[in-house]
Amino acid sequence: MSAQFASGTVGRGFGDRLILGATIALAIVMIMPMLWAVGLSLKTNQALLIDTNSVLRAPWTLTNYYDILIGSGVFRWLLNSIIVSFGMSLGVLVLASLAGYGFARLDFPGRNVIFVLVLFGLAIPEQAVILVRHQLFSDLDLHNTYAGLMLPGMSAPFGVFLMTQYFKAIPTEIDEAAMLDNASRFKIFWRVLLPMTLPAQATLGIFTFLHAWNDYWWPMVSGTNPQMYTLTVGIASTQQNFAESAGLGYLMAQAVFAFVPVLIVYMFFQKYIVRAVSGAAT
Amino acid sequence: MPGIELKNLIKTFGAATVIDNVSLSIRPHEFMVFLGPSGCGKSTLLRMIAGLESVDAGEIWIGDRRVDQLAPGERRVAMVFQHYALYPHMTVRENMSFGLRNVRMPTAEIDKRVAAAARMLEIEHLLERKPGQISGGQRQRVAIGRAIVKEPHLFLFDEPLSNLDAALRVRTRIEIAQLHQRVEAAMIFVTHDQVEAMTLAHRIVVMNNRKIEQIGTPMEIYSRPATAFVAGFVGTPAMNFAPVELTDGPNGFVSARLPDGVTIPTRIEQASLPGSKAFKLGIRAESLRICGAEQGDTAGVAQFVERLGDRTLVYVRLSDGTTVVAEDAGTSRVALNDSVGVKFDGACAHLFDDQDRGHHAVADVGS
Amino acid sequence: MSAAAGQLSDLGQARVQPACAGAHQSRWSHLLYVAPYLFLYVTLLVYPLFAGFWLSLHKADLFGGRRFVGLENFSRLLQDQVFLGAVGNTFYFILLTVPALAIIGLGLALALNRQTRTAAILRGVFFSSSVLSVTIVTLLWKVVFAPEGGFLANVLEAFGRQPVAFLNDADLALPAIAITTIWWCIGLPMMLFLAALQQVPRELYEAAALDNAGRWKTLWSVTLPSIRRTFALVLIIEVVLQFQLFGQAYLMTQGGPNNASRPMVLFLFEVGFTRWDVGYAVAAGQILFAFIAMAAFAQYLIARRKEAF
Ligand SMILES: Nc1ncnc2c1ncn2[C@@H]1O[C@H](COP(=O)(O)OP(=O)(O)OP(=O)(O)O)[C@@H](O)[C@H]1O
Ligand SMILES: [Mg+2]
Repeated sequence: MSAQFASGTVGRGFGDRLILGATIALAIVMIMPMLWAVGLSLKTNQALLIDTNSVLRAPWTLTNYYDILIGSGVFRWLLNSIIVSFGMSLGVLVLASLAGYGFARLDFPGRNVIFVLVLFGLAIPEQAVILVRHQLFSDLDLHNTYAGLMLPGMSAPFGVFLMTQYFKAIPTEIDEAAMLDNASRFKIFWRVLLPMTLPAQATLGIFTFLHAWNDYWWPMVSGTNPQMYTLTVGIASTQQNFAESAGLGYLMAQAVFAFVPVLIVYMFFQKYIVRAVSGAAT
Repeated sequence: MPGIELKNLIKTFGAATVIDNVSLSIRPHEFMVFLGPSGCGKSTLLRMIAGLESVDAGEIWIGDRRVDQLAPGERRVAMVFQHYALYPHMTVRENMSFGLRNVRMPTAEIDKRVAAAARMLEIEHLLERKPGQISGGQRQRVAIGRAIVKEPHLFLFDEPLSNLDAALRVRTRIEIAQLHQRVEAAMIFVTHDQVEAMTLAHRIVVMNNRKIEQIGTPMEIYSRPATAFVAGFVGTPAMNFAPVELTDGPNGFVSARLPDGVTIPTRIEQASLPGSKAFKLGIRAESLRICGAEQGDTAGVAQFVERLGDRTLVYVRLSDGTTVVAEDAGTSRVALNDSVGVKFDGACAHLFDDQDRGHHAVADVGS
Repeated sequence: MSAAAGQLSDLGQARVQPACAGAHQSRWSHLLYVAPYLFLYVTLLVYPLFAGFWLSLHKADLFGGRRFVGLENFSRLLQDQVFLGAVGNTFYFILLTVPALAIIGLGLALALNRQTRTAAILRGVFFSSSVLSVTIVTLLWKVVFAPEGGFLANVLEAFGRQPVAFLNDADLALPAIAITTIWWCIGLPMMLFLAALQQVPRELYEAAALDNAGRWKTLWSVTLPSIRRTFALVLIIEVVLQFQLFGQAYLMTQGGPNNASRPMVLFLFEVGFTRWDVGYAVAAGQILFAFIAMAAFAQYLIARRKEAF
C-alpha cells in the first residue's frame, strides 16, 4: 500500500512488539492450511495412508505432480477457466464502458429511469434467478458452451454502475475541448475518455476475472460435461474421491496446482486486486 | 482576419432565460472582455459562440460565415478552459496536435505549428511530458498552446487565470496581452475580475442578469458608466450613491442637494436629463477628498480607515447617517472617530435616473 | 494562411450540420451505447427475476409440467422443517461469522495500519486467502478437519487427546464451516477497515497527542468513533455475503449430519437442482431475495448517510 498510514498507535514500546508478535502468530495460522496441503502433496498416497505426520519427514516426492502431468483433467479445466475468465472480463469491460459512457454523457429518452432500474439489479442475488436462468439456457441450448458460462456474469450491473460513476467524475470540459478539436462523438469516447478510465477498467477487469475464476455454482450446473469444467468445478469434482483418501497426496497436488498460480498472480497484482475487491464491496 | 457578429442571441435553460436578446459586434483583432458578476451568463454566451451550447434564437457570424449551426470544431474558434481541460493521458505534444490530426493536417505542418507555439510559450522542454507532470502555470501555457496551433479566427478564454496564484496570475495576464499582439485573431476573455478586464480589454462588455449593461473601452466604462450597475460594479472601492434633489446651477448645469442639505454643483447639463424627479448621485471615492472638519462641503466622523499605502480610504459617517468612502493621501493622519471634513469634486459626479441610466458631465470637462 | 487552415474552413462551409451540443439533446440513437448491456440485463436478470415470481406460484417440475397453485409453495415452505431448519442454520452461521469477521478484521487493521515492510507483507498474507476459490478452500480445510490424519487430529493426538470428527458432529459442523469461512473471508473486512483508518484526519491524532491521550484512550475516543460508519458497512456487507453460504456447506458436509449444517441456499439448490421441484425452489429463492434486499437497502442507506456517522 502506498498511501500514508495515519496510525493512532505510533511508537515502539513493548506493547507494539507484543501486538506484532501476536499478528505474526496469527499469520502463521493463516498459511498453515496451505502449507499442510503442500506438505501432503509431496508424499506418496501410501505413506499418507499410514501416517499423515510423515509430511514432516523425508522422503518427499514429486510423483503426485508427475501423475497430474500425464493423466488429469486439470489442464483442460485450467484452459476452460482461462477462456471463461478472460472472455467474461472482456465482455464486461466492453459492455460496461459503452453503457457507462451512455449513462454518464448522452441523453436519451428515459435515461434516468433506466439507470435507476439498472441500479436495482445490484440487489438481486444470483440465487434468486439461477433456476429460471438455467431453464432459459436449456431452452437456448447454451449449456456446456463457453458462451453459456460467460454470459450470466456479463449481465451483472456492477460494472455499469462503476463505469458510469467514473465517466461522470471526468469533467465535461474535456469532452468540450475535444469537440473544439474536431473529434467525433465516437472518437471522444474512444480516444479521449476511455483511456482516462483505465484505473477503473483495471479494477473492474480484475474483479470480474476473480469472480469468474472462483465462481462455482453456475459453472457447476451449466458446464456439466467434464470437458467443460472450469478449474473450480473440476477440483470440486475430485473431492468426492476424498472419502477414500486413497489419493490424498494426488488430490492435494491438484489443489496446489490450482492455487499456487493464483497466489503468484496475486503477489504481483496485489495492489490492484485489493482495490478491486474492496471497491466492489463499497 | 474576420470580425464577429452576434445578433439577437437568446438562450434558455428550461424556463429560465439566461441570455436575453444579446447583440454585439467584435472587430477584427479586437480584445474583448466579458465582465460581470457570477451567474450573469458570461460563460453561457461564450459557450454559445464556441458551439458548446446551442442557440435558441439569433445568429452568430464570424466574418461572412454564419456559424451558429456548425459543430464546434468547424467554427475556427479555439477555447482555453478554466480548468485547462488537457487530455491527461496524452503528452503535451499530443495534446497540442490532437485537433490538427483530427482534420488530417499533414504531419510536417503539425510539427511546424507545435514547434512554433511551444517556442513562443517557452514550453519546448515539456513537449514529451504528460499534463500530470507539469505545474499549474505550465498546464495553462499548454492549454493556450493547444489553442494557438489551430490558428483560429477567434480565441475564447473562460476565466483562464482564476486557478493561478496571485503572482502567476499577473504574469500570465501580461503574457496573454503579448499573445494578442502576436496573433491576428480576435479574443474574447471572460472574467469577473475587473483588474483583468481593465488591463486587457480593448473594449469591455459588462453583463448583468442576462443582459449587456454597457459596451465600451475601459475608460468609458469607468468614467461614463451607462448604468448604476456598471458604476457600482466597476472600480474599487465601489462608487458612493446617494439620493439627491436637483436644483438649477450655473451655466445650465444642475446642482444636487444631498439628504444632509449640502448642495453640490455638477457639470451635468440640465438639458440632457429626463424629466423625472428621482435621481441618485454617484461619486467615486477619489472625487471625495478628506480635509479639515471645518473646510469641507460637509463633515462627519471617520468610522473606518483603510491604509493602502499610496492612498488611504476613509469611511465617513455623515450627519444624516449615510456613510461615504472618501480618499486621503497615503500619509493621512486620520484616525478612527476623528471628525473630518469631506470635499466633493462635483465635476466628476454622475447622476442616475429612475431607470438607473447614467448621466455624466459634459465630455470636454469630464475627467 | 496555410493550406491546412484552409481545409478547416472548407469543412465549415461544406457541412452545415445541426449541432454541436448534441450530447445535451435527447436522442434515440444514444440508446445504442447502452442497448447491448440492457439486452443482457433484461434477458438474464430482469426476466428470470419476474419469471421466478410467476413460477413460485406454480407447482413446476423439470419436464415442464406446471400447475398454478397460488401461494401454496410459500405455505409449504413455512411448514417444511428442513427449510425452517435451514433458515435457522443460516442465521446461526451469520451469528458465528459476521461479528468475528468484523472484530478480527478491525483488530488486524489496527495492528497492521503502519508503513513498515513487515506490515505490508502481513497484510498480503491475511488477504491472500480471499483470492482462492471455494473449492480450494474447502479442500484445504477438509484435510485440516479430517478425523484421520487431519492436521487438527494430529495436533490433538500430539497433546494426547482423542481426535474429533468436526464435520460429522452435528454441534461442530457449522462452527467448523464458520472457521473455514472466517479464514477465507477475513481479507475484505481488514482492507475496508484499513481504508477507513487512512481516512481519519491526522490532525485528530495530533490533537489527541497534545491532549496527552494514551494509546488506548486515543483508540477509544479518536479512532473507533471515526470509523463507526465503516463498521456498520462491514457488518452489513458481511451479512449479505454470509447469507449466501453455499459452497462450503455443500462441499464439506452436504448439509449434514442430520441437516445440522444446511443453509438456505443449499436447500434451494437441492430442491431445485436435485429434486427438480422448481416452483418450490424458486419460492425459497424469493424469500432469500427478500432477506438480501433488506440488507442491501440498509447498506444503501448507510453508504448514503456519509456525514451522519
Ligand atoms: N446547463 C445549465 N442548465 C441550467 N441552467 C444553467 C446551465 N448552465 C448555466 N445555467 C444558469 O445560467 C446562468 C448563467 O450561467 P453562466 O455559467 O453563464 O454564468 P457565469 O456568468 O459564467 O458565472 P461565473 O462567473 O460564476 O462563471 C446561471 O444562473 C446558471 O445557473
Ligand atoms: Mg462562468
